[in-house]
Formats: sequence, structure tokens, C-alpha cells
Amino acid sequence: MDNFSNLMDGFAIAFSFFHLALMAVGVLLGILVGVLPGLGAPNGVSLLLPLTFTMDPVSAIILLTSMYWGALFGGSTTSILFNIPGEPSSVATTFDGYPMAQQGHATHALTLAFMSAGFGAMFGVVVITVLSGWVTQFALKFSSPEYFAVFLLTFASFIGMGSGSAFKAIVSMMLGFAFATVGMDGISGNMRLTFGFPDLVKGISFLVAVIGLFGLGELMQTMEEGLRFDGIHARIRIRDVFKAVASMPGHWLTLLRSSIIGAWMGITPGGPTAASFMSYGLAKRFSRRKEHFGKGEPAGIVAPETADHSAGTCAILPMLALGVPGSATAAVMMGGLMIWGLTPGPMLFIERPDFVWGTIASMYLGNVMAVVLVLATVPMFAAILRIPFSIIGPMIVVVCFIGAYTISGSRLDLWLALPFGILGYVFKKLGYPIAPMVLAMVLGDKAEDAFRQSMMMSKGSLAIFWNNSTLVATIMTLAMLLLFWPLVSMIIRHLRGTEHGKRISA
Amino acid sequence: MRTTSGVLLTRFTMEVATALVTGLIGAIVCYGSLEFGIGWGDAGPEPGYFPFYVGLIVIIASAINMGFGIYHHRDRVEEFLTTEQSHRVIAFFGPMFLFVLISSYLGVYVGMILYLFSVMVFQGGYRPHKAIAVSLITAVANYFLFETWFKVPLLKGPLEALIGIH
Repeated sequence: MDNFSNLMDGFAIAFSFFHLALMAVGVLLGILVGVLPGLGAPNGVSLLLPLTFTMDPVSAIILLTSMYWGALFGGSTTSILFNIPGEPSSVATTFDGYPMAQQGHATHALTLAFMSAGFGAMFGVVVITVLSGWVTQFALKFSSPEYFAVFLLTFASFIGMGSGSAFKAIVSMMLGFAFATVGMDGISGNMRLTFGFPDLVKGISFLVAVIGLFGLGELMQTMEEGLRFDGIHARIRIRDVFKAVASMPGHWLTLLRSSIIGAWMGITPGGPTAASFMSYGLAKRFSRRKEHFGKGEPAGIVAPETADHSAGTCAILPMLALGVPGSATAAVMMGGLMIWGLTPGPMLFIERPDFVWGTIASMYLGNVMAVVLVLATVPMFAAILRIPFSIIGPMIVVVCFIGAYTISGSRLDLWLALPFGILGYVFKKLGYPIAPMVLAMVLGDKAEDAFRQSMMMSKGSLAIFWNNSTLVATIMTLAMLLLFWPLVSMIIRHLRGTEHGKRISA
Repeated sequence: MRTTSGVLLTRFTMEVATALVTGLIGAIVCYGSLEFGIGWGDAGPEPGYFPFYVGLIVIIASAINMGFGIYHHRDRVEEFLTTEQSHRVIAFFGPMFLFVLISSYLGVYVGMILYLFSVMVFQGGYRPHKAIAVSLITAVANYFLFETWFKVPLLKGPLEALIGIH
């Protein structure tokens, strides 16, 4: 029962007036960025991060994680009311959410979405609570080779498990590494890739990249498609809320299945988006009402929402425990951890139990608060989307650039956000994945340092990655399998004579 | 699929152009890392080793992407951007670029007032007095939010110095 007493200590930390207020602020800001087009969870967290530099790490992570929960809820709101997914992970929610709202059941659809999201998140936090104690046992076995192996596993899984072209994922990731090496080298002290520009000595911040790639890039794409909000007026009727809550137990099987899918995809870096699609697909396949899917089937809302939130929550575990984020947003938060002076990884559980368990406890409280707040404020946030875009659009742009400037108060960051915006726009249209680039920018330095420290330990022999322990050998083998998986599957498909070209270009 | 009329850029062109740009960045990275040695020293890799091979992988993967791009889009029918879409993108990007340009010389506050005002008037068709009100309120709200509440100073220019805000 060690975890339980730790968790109680965590609650004692999280349950203060200041922290509860931070949660409420975080959730509300999160819903706002989730609802606004162009701003999403990774972006919102990046914009808020510079304001937390002076905060106590526990308060800071509570604010950021709460914002994350809020953003996930906000994304579902626009999916259902406007047929516009606020987040990529809530695309699957539009399939049945919007038709249901069109038929006049907006309250029912929203309540179902929020309740299942809350359930998924709770499931995720329980998984984290249970697994966390076990993670600490690994802690002392970790040294540089193990860290490098885990990083490699993460990178490999993004290449091997991605849905698009593996080579596009490689380009995106390697560019991220290249941007991460700009500036002072942590081991030798040399100024790398600065080409004589003094402004580049401090490096290129991953936050600027996220603001450009996700924020500006997405805005440009929204503008290009010509923005139209055909929103459905949502009035939350209390009676409908209770009716929807009462129907929840009937979805128990979908809830459970989707939670498990979400937990798995969140811990392995499959991410919330993949989890929600997979869960929707499985719910449809096992349903007796298959033909109703896509026309406003309640289970078609429950499934993707549960998986989305379960995955989003579980993505926090590998971030805290291994220093390997399971999603782009978790990557940004991990960058924050390092800025606050904490080292993510198993040692965190031993050195800063107050931080770890405070965070986990706040996740329970934050999610309950998020469900209540989002139900109460939906009409207000839906009204924001009715403000004409010629007002709200420039305001979002201003917020993005203010966010870029506040990272380090540098004029250069204003200018850097622009090319990243163009890059994000072009990459998204051509099917280059963006998350690997962000991941590589956050982890690049750490991965390189781990590699070079391992080389110092072994006097330059690569064999250390297989000989050091069985742990490192297992992880390395897994990483290699994942890395070459696209190649292997391509050869298999080729041998079978199926048409594989379409998949690669997609 | 639409016909090529009104298409400004085809997917073919963009796939090739993007692969060329990423390949070029890879080449720049390779060139830049030559400065500190890309070999394998006594204590493992030298400082330039990691970025050099990263750059090299970017070049190779870009070449493969270009090959796939040329092969899969050789019919050149799929569009990347129509003329109409390009107008919308430029109408958004242009003012944004000017906002950054003005902000970096006159400060973020002046930049945001001019930016919000002109987009509202010239693109949104609002009356000037309404646009002035909205942009001034936004600037003042941001000032109190960042300078007073969060104590994070934003970029200021000569105008703020003139009226004694810094």
C-alpha cells in the first residue's frame, strides 16, 4: 500500500486553495485554447509555460496539466457543436457528435462526451497510480546507456508506428535534432551550427517551434480552407444532462474497452489521436447497431472520447517515469520540467516524491473539476466562436507572438516563429508528421548527451548498448525492431504483390 | 478531383520543392558541423559527429521523399493550392508578417494596435471607431495582464519610452 500513502501525501499537497484556483484557471484557459481554431493543447501549454518559470514546480505542473485537460474538453466541444475538431484527437468525435447535435440532442451529446472523457481520464490516472510505484524499482538500474536506449525506442516507435510515410517522419525528426544541436554543446562547450550569429548561441527553443508549427501553421491552413462556422446553438438543459448521465452505465463495455486502448496507446507513444480512431473503429465493429454509426450513435461519441482522454492522461506516466513523452503536449511539459530544474526520469520518483505525487493527485482533482466546469461554461465558449474571425483571428496571432517573445524576451524568436509557421503549414499539407520534430527538439540534447556519456563509459565501444545489462539489451532490440518495421512490412507487402504505393504517399 | 485550371501550385511541385528545401537544410547542417570535427575521438564521438550524420540522414531521406513524390504525383493533377486559396493565405500571412516587422521596431503593443485595426477595417469591413476601440482595449488588457499581473515585460519601442512606460 505504499502507493496509496504516497497518493494521500500528494492530495495533501494538491488540495490547497491556491492549487484548486490554479486548476480552475488552467481548465478554463485550456477550454479556451481547445475551442479556438489554431490553438490547441501543445500550443496552449507552450504559450503558458514562460509564465510559470518563476513558479514553484508543483504549482506550475498543476497549471499546465489542468490546461491540458481543459484543452481536451474544449476540442470535443467544437467537434460536437461546430463539426470542427479543436484538436486532431477529437476528429473521431465529429463522426457521431455533430449528427447528434444536428438532431437536437446537443446537450445529450456533450454530456456523454464529457462524462466518458472524465471516465477515461480517471482510468488513466488510476493506471498511473498503480504503475508508478513499480517504475521506481527501475530507477537505480538506469544509467546513460539505458537512457539512450529508451530515447532510441521512443524515436523508433514514432517512425515505425506512424501512419504516414516513414521517410517523411525521418526528415521531420532529424530536422528536429538538427535544430536541437544549435547553440552551446553541453559536453565540449563548442558553439555548434550558429554560423557566427550571436543570437543563436542560446539555441532554438522548442517552444518557438511549437508555436509556429502548431499555432501559425494550423491558422494558415484554417484560413486557406475558408472559415465557416455552422454552429448549433447549445443550451444546456439540466434534465438532458441527468438523462445522459443515467445512460452511461449502459455503455460500460465501450467505456472499459476504450479506456484500455487509450491507456496502452498513451503509455506507448501511439498518442491520443491514434487511440481515439482505433477505439471508434473497434466500437463500430463490435456494435450490434453498426449501421447507426456516423448518424448520431451515442457509442460513437463515448468510444473516441474515452480513449482520447485515457491516452492523454497516461502519456504523463512515461514522461515522468522515463523522461519519454507520449504525446506532443507531454513533450512540451517535459521541456517545462527541465526548465524548472527537474530531471524527468525514474530518479524523479525518489528525489522529488512531493512533485510526482502532487501531480498525480492533482490529476484526480483536475479532471473532476474539468467535467463540472466544462458543463457549466459550454454556452459561453460556444459564443466565442460566433465572434467574427477578422477580430478573433488577429487576436490569436497576437497571442502566439506574445508567447514566442515571452520565452526569453528575444526579438529573434518573433522572427523564428514565422518560418516555423510556414514549415508547419506545408508539412501538414504534404503529410509530414510534426510531432516527431517537437519530440526530437525536446529530447535531442538529452539523447546525444546520453550517447556520448555512454561512449565515455565504454571508451568508444558501441557494445555497451547490449552488454551493460539485460534491460538495455531488451530495449535496444525492441527499438531496432520498430525502426526497421516499415522496411520489413514494405517488403512483406511487396512479396504479396499488393499495391503498396498508395500507403507510402498518404 | 478538380482540373488544373485555377491551380496555382500542384502537389508535384510542392513535394519536390519541400524535399529540395529539407535537403538543403541537411546540407547546411553537414557543412556547419565540419567546424568541430565529425570523427570518432578518444572519448567517443567529437562534437560535430552527431549533427553531421543527422544532416546526412536528412539529405538521404529528402532524396527518397523526392523520388516518391516524383513517382506518385507524376501525372501532376493533384493540387496543392488553388488561386483562390492562395489569396486567402496571403491575406492572412501578409498582415501577420507586417505585424512582426512593425513589432520588432516599434514594440509589440504598437504592432498589435495597428494590426488589429487594419485587419478589422480593411478585411472585416468594420467602422474605424469600432476598430480603434477594440484594438486599444486589447493592448491595454495585454499590458495589465503581462506587465502588471505576470510581471513579464513585452517588447516595447520608442513610443512607449516617449510617454514614459517601460
